[in-house]
Amino acid sequence: MTGGALAFCLIMVTGLVALIMANGLGFFWPGDIYRFTLKDGREIAGQLVEREQIPGSDTNVPGGLFRIKVKQANRDLYGTDFVWIDESAITKKDKPADAILIHRREWGDFIGVIVEVTDAGKSVAKGPQEGLKFLKSLLPQADATLAAIYAIEKGDIGQINYRQDALRLEIKKLEIKGEGARFKKAGIEAQIAELGKQYAIQSARIDELKKKQTANVKLTAAGGVEKELPLQTVVRVISPNTEGVIGKTLIYMERLWEFLSGDPREANTEGGVFPAIFGTVMLVLIMSVIVTPFGVVAAFYLREYAKQGTLVSIVRIAVNNLAGVPSIVFGVFGVGFFIYFVGGGLDRMFFPERLPAPTFGTGGILWASLTLALLTLPVVIVSTEEGLAQIPKGLREASLALGATKFETTWRVALPAALPSIMTGLILAMARAAGEVAPLMITGVVKLAPALPLDGYWPFVHLERKFMHLGFHIYDVGFQSPNVDAARPMVYTTTLLLLLIVVFLTLGAIMTRNRLRKKFAGSAV
Amino acid sequence: MSQISEAPGNHGSLENDNAGGEGSGPLLPPPSVINLTEKSLAIRLRRDALARHTVTFGGMAVICSILAILFVIVAEVYPLFKKPTSRHLLAFNLPKDAGKPLATAVDEYRETAVIFTTSGALMADLKKGTIIKRASIPGIGGTSVVSASSSGKDSFILGLANGRAVTVRAQFNVSYPQDGQRKVEPEIDAGEPVVVDESGAPLNLTHSVEGERGLVIVAATGPDELTLLTVKKSKSLVDDGKTQTVATRLSIPIEGVISELELDSRGEEALAGTSKGEVVRLNIGDDGSLQIAEMIKAVSSQNARITVLGNLLGDRTLIVGDSNGGVSSWQIVKDKSNQLRLAKIHDFTPHSRAVTAFSPSLRNKGFVTADESGEVFVRYGTSGETLLRADSAQGPVVTLTMAPKSDGIVCVDEKGSLHHIEVVNPHPEITIATLFKKMWYEGYEKPEYVWQSTGGTDDFEPKLSLVPLIFGTLKGTLYAMLFAIPLSLLAALYTSQFMHPSVRSFVKPAVEVMAALPSVVLGFIAGLWLAPIMEKATPGFFLLPIVAPAMILAAAFAWKTLAPLRLRSRIMSGMEIVILVPTLIAAGILSFWMGGLLEWSFLGGDYRQWVREAMGLTYDQRNSLVVGLAMGFAVIPIIFTITEDSLANIPPHLRAGSLALGATPWQTAIRVILPAASPGIFSAIMIGFGRAVGETMIVLMATGNTPVMDWSVFNGFRALSANIAVELPEAPEQGTLYRVLFLAALLLFMMTFFVNTLAEIVRLRLRKRYSSL
Repeated sequence: MTGGALAFCLIMVTGLVALIMANGLGFFWPGDIYRFTLKDGREIAGQLVEREQIPGSDTNVPGGLFRIKVKQANRDLYGTDFVWIDESAITKKDKPADAILIHRREWGDFIGVIVEVTDAGKSVAKGPQEGLKFLKSLLPQADATLAAIYAIEKGDIGQINYRQDALRLEIKKLEIKGEGARFKKAGIEAQIAELGKQYAIQSARIDELKKKQTANVKLTAAGGVEKELPLQTVVRVISPNTEGVIGKTLIYMERLWEFLSGDPREANTEGGVFPAIFGTVMLVLIMSVIVTPFGVVAAFYLREYAKQGTLVSIVRIAVNNLAGVPSIVFGVFGVGFFIYFVGGGLDRMFFPERLPAPTFGTGGILWASLTLALLTLPVVIVSTEEGLAQIPKGLREASLALGATKFETTWRVALPAALPSIMTGLILAMARAAGEVAPLMITGVVKLAPALPLDGYWPFVHLERKFMHLGFHIYDVGFQSPNVDAARPMVYTTTLLLLLIVVFLTLGAIMTRNRLRKKFAGSAV
Repeated sequence: MSQISEAPGNHGSLENDNAGGEGSGPLLPPPSVINLTEKSLAIRLRRDALARHTVTFGGMAVICSILAILFVIVAEVYPLFKKPTSRHLLAFNLPKDAGKPLATAVDEYRETAVIFTTSGALMADLKKGTIIKRASIPGIGGTSVVSASSSGKDSFILGLANGRAVTVRAQFNVSYPQDGQRKVEPEIDAGEPVVVDESGAPLNLTHSVEGERGLVIVAATGPDELTLLTVKKSKSLVDDGKTQTVATRLSIPIEGVISELELDSRGEEALAGTSKGEVVRLNIGDDGSLQIAEMIKAVSSQNARITVLGNLLGDRTLIVGDSNGGVSSWQIVKDKSNQLRLAKIHDFTPHSRAVTAFSPSLRNKGFVTADESGEVFVRYGTSGETLLRADSAQGPVVTLTMAPKSDGIVCVDEKGSLHHIEVVNPHPEITIATLFKKMWYEGYEKPEYVWQSTGGTDDFEPKLSLVPLIFGTLKGTLYAMLFAIPLSLLAALYTSQFMHPSVRSFVKPAVEVMAALPSVVLGFIAGLWLAPIMEKATPGFFLLPIVAPAMILAAAFAWKTLAPLRLRSRIMSGMEIVILVPTLIAAGILSFWMGGLLEWSFLGGDYRQWVREAMGLTYDQRNSLVVGLAMGFAVIPIIFTITEDSLANIPPHLRAGSLALGATPWQTAIRVILPAASPGIFSAIMIGFGRAVGETMIVLMATGNTPVMDWSVFNGFRALSANIAVELPEAPEQGTLYRVLFLAALLLFMMTFFVNTLAEIVRLRLRKRYSSL
């Protein structure tokens, strides 16, 4: 009986991990495209998603009671990505060799058959085979053009906008100060005008590049609808029915890479999660930098310097209990104290020219990190204290007896000995921080951040910026997205990624701790 | 020692001697042992002192910052419960020859006021206490004004001595002529006088609103006679500007005389108060007709005359004041026979004398009333509480206005002196009662606990009862604990007492990984994967706790009797789990299959329909069952780890003694180990409880987040934590909602802190007990 309970728990854990693995890893595998011909004459082409018993149907009749969910894509033509088909309604099912899957930048995937490829209105390739070949050869060039446009928009124009904004703020600042404003203002305005000219030049360059985007591809979707796609909206062309396992693996790797390094598309439901990964990592790093010294100092104080008495044990209980305080409460504290009190104060002191738009007086990565640091502080304190408690008394006494001062003993003996447990605490803290979402939701995480908190503009690190986070990504895409069905596989993958990070960190902590235990078990004095 | 004390700058050295000992005696070495110069020793000691101070300071700072969490939250909550205060800013006499004051209007900065009197209007500066200018009402000729009543923000209707009425508007033009200097210039603006009483008798009682139906005027044109006038400008393009006037007269069968009138802001309902304490509710038809809807006695004492009738913001609450000083609030509620009737909601603290004036807040459901003795009360409609008593005037208050921002009151008493009172009351809607007691909200049929913080319209009544949220938190916690406690306790018992150590080294990290699973992952799986599956196979889930133990027992029995000895000996004792895992998987499959069967044979094929029909419950896809499972999943490792610790730490001689006396391992576990570890188990459950109470993401993602009060497993709920996460980003800083959410956080903090402290104390005591065994 008791074993059964344990077994149940274990099944749940492994089942959960397996579920996430299976769903998350399968996402990038290009499934075959089937064509279903229905009794009423309709044709539906798409990838098979799932098969289930029709709800409310009689289980005792064999066959014909299942239905399948097909990803038919072409949201712009059919309205929905997915369609349920009763198996009993299918008369024919085959895998057409010329059916291809196109990942688009907008409107999700497209499934269809190539009719022709045109360039500047002239037909350059006709028919599915030739068209596909031509399409694939054209794509790199189209991508290059797009990348060039993107580089101008983000790089040059971004730079111009940034400097214009900075100059405008400069004017406001001068106005607030009121000193010799008019004279300086004229100079700055001239600079702004100059930037405006540069802007015009750059946008002309973009227009020039855009003229190159002349290629189109015409396809027919299932049901005979024709659709012409400009080449620049095409991300990738896959013909899953003709690719072998190796080809599919390559596509798989390519998509996995896109997921890890790319920017999100389509309200986060497609493309990559790089900004979220970046945000998570940066958040955890800032938090670690803050929490480690403070946590360690507090632990050393409690264990080595403070007089051991009732007060210290009360403090210790309080610290312990703090670990059990809900994370959302820390978030609320972060909002009340960091954002509105400290951040609002900073804004009034240093950025009056930007008000009423807040700079630090709103959620940002710094405040989120500080909140998380506070949240994970007990973890580090408790772990460090444990490490300190485990140092054999003899070691410390020997050091003191040799004439070392208390600081020297602490620094040279206690700290190195406690280092593994500090590490354990830190890793646990990082694992907790990486997986925590609730306090972030109110202290600065956003669905889609316009810019990373780290970039090429001075001062390079923008701690006041809002950021994206893997955990919030899961919540947002899984629950707030308008097209949950299409987004779900992506969420599984994100979940898997988050899970890997957290489990990896936790296992790291466990291993460090085990090694530590062995070490002390051996060296007990 | 002497050498040390001679070293410069070593004030800390002696202290160091004491502090550094930590029970191991004086530790400073004789200088001869260490070959060091005095100087370097001094540096070392200084460094030591510096380090000590740094660490002490740092440690203290960290501990203080932890305490600061509590203080910051409390500081944000405190203003909610701060008693409102008032300050009498100014009093000055209006000119004697300006006539009797009838009505007042104030600008939103409380810098100027317009006072309508029997002979015109006065513009007063509220800062300096002077009259800026005097004006007469345009277009009324030589007749004097006899009555005035407010018909919305800054607009009034004046009843004239010749049976006519005129609408007037006070306008406050705000300009900023110089940098930062605000200038408010009051002005009045009047409409065309309208003939209300053809006989030309003075209009002593009149009321009006201007809305979609045009200008609607109601006036008392006799002791029991009402006249309704609708003046509508036609909108057609051909005859633009033509007005169409419809007049209706109606005698109402009342005993006394009409003493007070009120109209709702849409012009669809008129209310008349009588000298016998009755309120008559009349419907106004689209065609301008009047019809009595109901008549009720609205005062408790016999001889009270109704002196004040007024609607609060949004026109859903009626305030009735009488000549005995009684003030009550009324709403139209469906009664038992499904009829709409006025029902008394609250009786407010009465005035000592007759109520003479009333003014609603333009921001919330607050209002002010004043009486014959000059007392002014600030009250709040939702809670029925009187928040503040502001003594002001010396004699009977004639007219009273609450400032547009509800932060001040301007009133004029009978002697003609004007009083300007500042009211500091940023959170009138919050009292202990509105947070924790049932409240009769506007539009509800009875008092209820409701959480609804924002609404679509400006006149929305915030319903900020924390009870549904606390209820939701406890409900989720309860279901999670129901699931988690048995599983985790049994699992811990097995792990610590029966399991083979080699398997244990496997299981513990697995459980720790389980503890580390981010709650957002659990919430996602629960909301998007488990909930739809659960929806299909709920009966199977209910069967599982019956089928699984049965299967396990059967498997154990089969194992004992059927398995060949060779196989049994190969699988060591303590490795039973190897067999149990497949057994359980089989049990799972079986119970879902049986669940389907059960649904077919007994529940009519669709259990959801059955639940609805047989039990009267609705089924939400994201329900408490799902949350219970997911949150239980999050809590299991916590309870498991702590229980396992306390079981494993039981002194081994207890177990050995029991076994030596011939008890079986099972008997030992149940009779000896469990009782000895019970405080530890208690603290484990407490800590698990604390975690479940504060869990946010799972609750947010796996329930529908509807704040309903219902124990049903098939419904969702809204928990305190999820509510904070959802609403805090949208709550304006320092606003009422913002502070109430901080209060919710404080509640969570206290709940978990209390529970954890209790657990910690129990655990410490347990440790002591072990050491004494």
